[in-house]
Amino acid sequence: MPEVKVSRLSKQFGDNAVLRDITFTIADGEFFTLLGPSGCGKSTTLACIAGLERPTSGSIAVGPATFVDSGTFVPPEGRNLGMVFQSYALWPHLTVAQNLAMPLRIRKVDRRRQDELITESLAKVGLAELKNRYPHQLSGGQQQRVALARALVYSPSVLLLDEPLSNLDAQLREQARAWLKRLQAELGITTVYVTHDQEEALALSDRIAVMSEGDMVQIGTPKEIYETPATARVAAFVGRCNFLTGTVTGQAEVRLDCTGQTLAVLPGAAGDGRRVSVAIRPERLEILPEGRTAPAGVNVLTAQVLTGSYIGSRYEYDLRLGDHVIQVESNRAGLTGEVTLLADPSACLVYPTTDVLPEDAEALLTVSH
Amino acid sequence: MTTLSPPRPAVHPPPRYRRPLGLARESWLHYGVLLLLAVLVLAPVVPTLYQSFLDRPLYEAGGILSVDNYVRLFTEAGFGRVVLNTALFAGLTTLLSLLIAVPMAVVVVRTKLPGGRLFAAAMQWPFFISSLILGFGWITIYGPAGFVSVEVRRMLGFLPWNLYSIPGMAVTEAVALAPIVYTFCANALRQSDASLEAAAQVCGAGPLRILRSVILPMLRPPIVYSSILVISMSVETLSVPLLFGQPVGIDVFSTFLYRNGLQSISPDYGVLGAASAIILLVTVSLVALQAKLLKNAQRFVSVRGKATRPRRLDLGWLKWVSVAAIACYVVLGALVPIGGLVFRSFTLVFTPLQSPFRTLTGANYERIFTYPVYVQSIVNSLLVAAIGAVLVSGLSLLAVMVARRSDFRFARAVEYLALAPQAMPGIIVGIGLFWALAFAPFGLGTLVQGTLWALIIGFGLRALPSGFGSISPSIMQIGRELDNAARVSGADWVRTFTRILAALLRPAFAGALILTFVTLLKEYSPAVFLGSADSNIIGTTMLELWVQGNTGSVAALASLQIAITATFVGLAGLLLKGRNDA
Ligand SMILES: Nc1ncnc2c1ncn2[C@@H]1O[C@H](COP(=O)(O)OP(=O)(O)OP(=O)(O)O)[C@@H](O)[C@H]1O
Ligand SMILES: [Mg+2]
Repeated sequence: MPEVKVSRLSKQFGDNAVLRDITFTIADGEFFTLLGPSGCGKSTTLACIAGLERPTSGSIAVGPATFVDSGTFVPPEGRNLGMVFQSYALWPHLTVAQNLAMPLRIRKVDRRRQDELITESLAKVGLAELKNRYPHQLSGGQQQRVALARALVYSPSVLLLDEPLSNLDAQLREQARAWLKRLQAELGITTVYVTHDQEEALALSDRIAVMSEGDMVQIGTPKEIYETPATARVAAFVGRCNFLTGTVTGQAEVRLDCTGQTLAVLPGAAGDGRRVSVAIRPERLEILPEGRTAPAGVNVLTAQVLTGSYIGSRYEYDLRLGDHVIQVESNRAGLTGEVTLLADPSACLVYPTTDVLPEDAEALLTVSH
Repeated sequence: MTTLSPPRPAVHPPPRYRRPLGLARESWLHYGVLLLLAVLVLAPVVPTLYQSFLDRPLYEAGGILSVDNYVRLFTEAGFGRVVLNTALFAGLTTLLSLLIAVPMAVVVVRTKLPGGRLFAAAMQWPFFISSLILGFGWITIYGPAGFVSVEVRRMLGFLPWNLYSIPGMAVTEAVALAPIVYTFCANALRQSDASLEAAAQVCGAGPLRILRSVILPMLRPPIVYSSILVISMSVETLSVPLLFGQPVGIDVFSTFLYRNGLQSISPDYGVLGAASAIILLVTVSLVALQAKLLKNAQRFVSVRGKATRPRRLDLGWLKWVSVAAIACYVVLGALVPIGGLVFRSFTLVFTPLQSPFRTLTGANYERIFTYPVYVQSIVNSLLVAAIGAVLVSGLSLLAVMVARRSDFRFARAVEYLALAPQAMPGIIVGIGLFWALAFAPFGLGTLVQGTLWALIIGFGLRALPSGFGSISPSIMQIGRELDNAARVSGADWVRTFTRILAALLRPAFAGALILTFVTLLKEYSPAVFLGSADSNIIGTTMLELWVQGNTGSVAALASLQIAITATFVGLAGLLLKGRNDA
């Protein structure tokens, strides 16, 4: 399986720049995910790789073959890629077997071999007995698997998936996710996956590229993306995050606006006097059990419990910190009144921007006295 | 780029498609469709425009360009009077068809009306009956010597109307065009939100008040749009003005061309060209205006998924008045004239002075079937309609595919070209193609001139917009991802069409075949210039027989044409239904 190289890819629709100078390389056999909010250009990127959109500039190569470069454009039918669409795009007038046969017939594979490949491919997705059904006689989950089987039946060099799980219900989606991950690992096929569901991205991917408004903001493993987001935006989009504004007062210190307290943060933040946001994940804030003392070198914050809710495996609390509402996850039940919070400096990420949240969301998280 | 491991060859590589002269085969197809459409559309237009500035027939050598023709058109030829007549006729027709159709649409769609469905279905009648036949029917019944006229004159001592006048022409044309206005208004009323009315009702507004302050404002867009459509159709129509206006010397655009081109011994081609150019300018502007309005209108229409079923108002005693009025339109406007014409075909003498049952006869039909020329004209009509329907539907399908489903640079141009014949009056298509054929290189013209192929080209051109319009919505309902899936799987554009879309579009194609067949069967106006003794069709034969005073045979031919249309539509409907059920 070859690697995919995309460099300096740009796409414009009229005046609207949808992709700006995107560069990334996907390794052989890697499960690579494009993650980002709706409208950020994920599908457009995928369509450019597939050849369904013509990039305005940039180059795309898969293995030794250059698909797009200045003066070169290989149409989709010449690229030998497999693709699963959000709507599955099964051809409604053909049975499952005929759907799978179409790419093989186009490739002039002989009849006997076609049957073998179809049976093999349907077995992979566990639907061998539904060969003769029409798409409208299948459930959503089955259609999704048929679409995958159709994309794999001719052994494409790269598999492209555009939100293939988004039409499934929550439970099925989780099962399908695990199944897809296993299948991909088994086949070892280079896979580009598009989703706006960060949980899905974290669970499935070898590496994730986070996109925002046509830019590629960060590329990294799920762990890197989650634990050290490159920008406040990434932190806000991938997982939940508390943002506290403040001013840098020293090498690794920030004075918070909401309480006036000074917080030890990861060193290397911007210079003195700069306005920053401190981002802390809800599960990295620890509630100190009563009667214990805080260990040294850890930030200690005092906050009041506003509300608590049980979310199954854990409890989630809204706390008031000065005039700010923050969220904390904990496995302790029934907390009320004043609590002490511990935040390790390594959990306090500092970003040189103050307007991370939209204004109305900000208003919701501010407590007036 | 350094690849460490050698690339694994694809197990089943995608097929290689031939690229003649370095261009993908779909590009050849796209350019081919564009070129074909451009030639078809420009063929009648360019020679007409050229002729309008030329001081002699365009096939004669040594022509000099000048605007002389336009000057002569308004001075010697009396075109000013024609413009005025046309404006009066079109204006009156539009007004009358609005008066007939708008109240009808409101009452049928929005109120509880006994027999509402029947009336809605009855508004489909012009699909089966050409305006030429309607004209014959009206003359048979309401003309100076018509069945009803004679009776009325006997009772009153005089006839309170004169069909052979501009108002008479306008009434008949309005009856023929009212269903168009009805369709647009009824659709708008069906789509609009019923909650507005419910709100008005809660506020205590009575039904009439709701009609006035809620429903009528909703109708403004369809009224404006359909008015322009009716104006442009009455500007170009030939049938009614030819039958009613010609005998008493009332000329409108189309009959002016007819008289100057066909009836004069030495036609003044320059004047003919200039008149055609001006008429084209009028119709093109009207169609352009129409397209612009429709585009704007669509932005405001909000179709909410499943349309809410409109609440129907109860009009009380007024509903019986409405039923009577609508019945009056359907019965007196269409049923009686057409029924009368059919009846006429079975009698020798058709007048209230003597019971027509006494002269019941098959002689009218016998005459048609004994003379080979008349039989030939029926065969010709069927040939033109059948071959034309296949060709037009095929071309429409290709044009829709290119316009809506390709990344062809000139996709937009393809759409405009396919819709352009809307703005071309049939008689101008006839004149223009006639000149184009006279002008065509390699003697192509003489090969086609006067044959059925000339008619197929002319009629087909006129039917192209309906074909395009009937297929285009269907393709919009087929998700684009189905094409994309085929492309990624290795099919090029052409193969995506043949393997996937063609199958999915089969019902739409069948619909287009039926529609264009019926349209072509009713068409005749380009044939008055393009036809010859060998290529007579039902329409031109009827006109010929009419001029000879042979009204019985005209009635017989008209009845045959209606019967053929009805049988064809019935059979096609059964066939399609059978396939869908299977
Ligand atoms: N054919 C087009 N013409 C104009 N603009 C387009 C076109 N296709 C996409 N866009 C714009 O490009 C942007 C990116 O679209 P894209 O479909 O790539 O988003 P996405 O990240 O896949 O979003 P989603 O998660 O909602 O699918 C959007 O703002 C969209 O409006
Ligand atoms: Mg998308």
